[in-house]
Amino acid sequence: MIIRFRPGTPPARVQELREKIETSGSRTVLSPEPARPLLAVVDKLSSELREVVEACPDVESTVQPPGAWRMVDRRFRENPSTVKVGDVEIGGGKVVVCAGPCSVDPLLDEAAAMVSQAGGHLLRGGAFKPRTSPWSFQGFGVEGLRLLKDAGQKYGMPVVSEVMDAAQLPAFKDHDIDCLQIGARNMQNFTLLKAVAEAGAPVLLKRGLSATVHEWLYSAEYLAAFGCSDIILCERGIRTFENATRNTLDLTILPLLREWTHLPVMVDPSHAAGIASLIPTLSRASIAAGADGIAVEVHPDPSVARSDAEQALGSGELATIVAEARIQAAVTGRGLHT
Amino acid sequence: MKPSTRNQLAHLDRAILAMLQERARLLSGEDSDNPDRLARIDDLLQRAEGPFDPGLLKEIFDAIDRGCGGSGS
Repeated sequence: MIIRFRPGTPPARVQELREKIETSGSRTVLSPEPARPLLAVVDKLSSELREVVEACPDVESTVQPPGAWRMVDRRFRENPSTVKVGDVEIGGGKVVVCAGPCSVDPLLDEAAAMVSQAGGHLLRGGAFKPRTSPWSFQGFGVEGLRLLKDAGQKYGMPVVSEVMDAAQLPAFKDHDIDCLQIGARNMQNFTLLKAVAEAGAPVLLKRGLSATVHEWLYSAEYLAAFGCSDIILCERGIRTFENATRNTLDLTILPLLREWTHLPVMVDPSHAAGIASLIPTLSRASIAAGADGIAVEVHPDPSVARSDAEQALGSGELATIVAEARIQAAVTGRGLHT
Repeated sequence: MKPSTRNQLAHLDRAILAMLQERARLLSGEDSDNPDRLARIDDLLQRAEGPFDPGLLKEIFDAIDRGCGGSGS
């Protein structure tokens, strides 16, 4: 249950009701929302206590989230939340474009220049790669983080990279990686989620390839419950019976997530489609469906890319995607991040 | 006018306005507009198809240019 107090309710009266609830054995979390006190009650209340809460003159209403999550629920904030990655704000009506190679490789500098010249806002690149086959390229590791950060600084873009193991976190911190990505395969690695939450950096949480929205939001709730207040969801396609594309981009859940969570949502059409020619259309569709940003893979020469070459875009295509993102953002009542 | 036409016009007007503002925002950090802009607009208008008066379209693009900090044609 989430308790919505009337705006201006004194903190002492909120605390009084909170203590009453906690004395009964139920845990509570107070929202950082400044507009009004919002109190999430984690555990089920007795019917008697529920009546007390609902009869309290300071309580405007109580709401029951559609799942057992609390901190990421839409009603836990008055407005949708925004996340700052470096100087780039995600959510809040400005659409962002995150782009870069699937894996950091020797052409990273050229790729970063492509992203910058096209008008991209965030540079992505994998240093530690979760590959289906153990014989596939596994990434440059710590050296990849250094190359990524250097390229981001050179072209003035915050950087995003995937962390696969809690043991890698010190390297991410040492290289000042601006946003930690939890990949699809680790979405329910709860030990990793807790460790990443405690690291203090913004987190891009990709949807697991077979995860339901409930499971995805529970993973986001793990991050929130363990101290991460800067969470961005990223839809990247789910596994279905369809095999003409790599995955099926589930845009259905974008308007649903708007109702269920206050977290900003990005879409990765590259991993969803797995086919470069489909990505511009899917990017437009994602923004039209309300995405706060898109994450796409680019490479200056896909023929030598170390992973996912078939879904890498060239510079002209990326520039078109950014230009079209601006139009889509405008017609949906938003704008492109400057 | 049919209610559906009125509704569609309202949406189109909002979209036109949003795109004009977005165009101005895009140029707000730039020192000057693209020097080949006039030729590009002329080319665009020559290839334009539809019932909108071509002379008025030229005036509109001039006005858009001025609204975005340019000097018009």
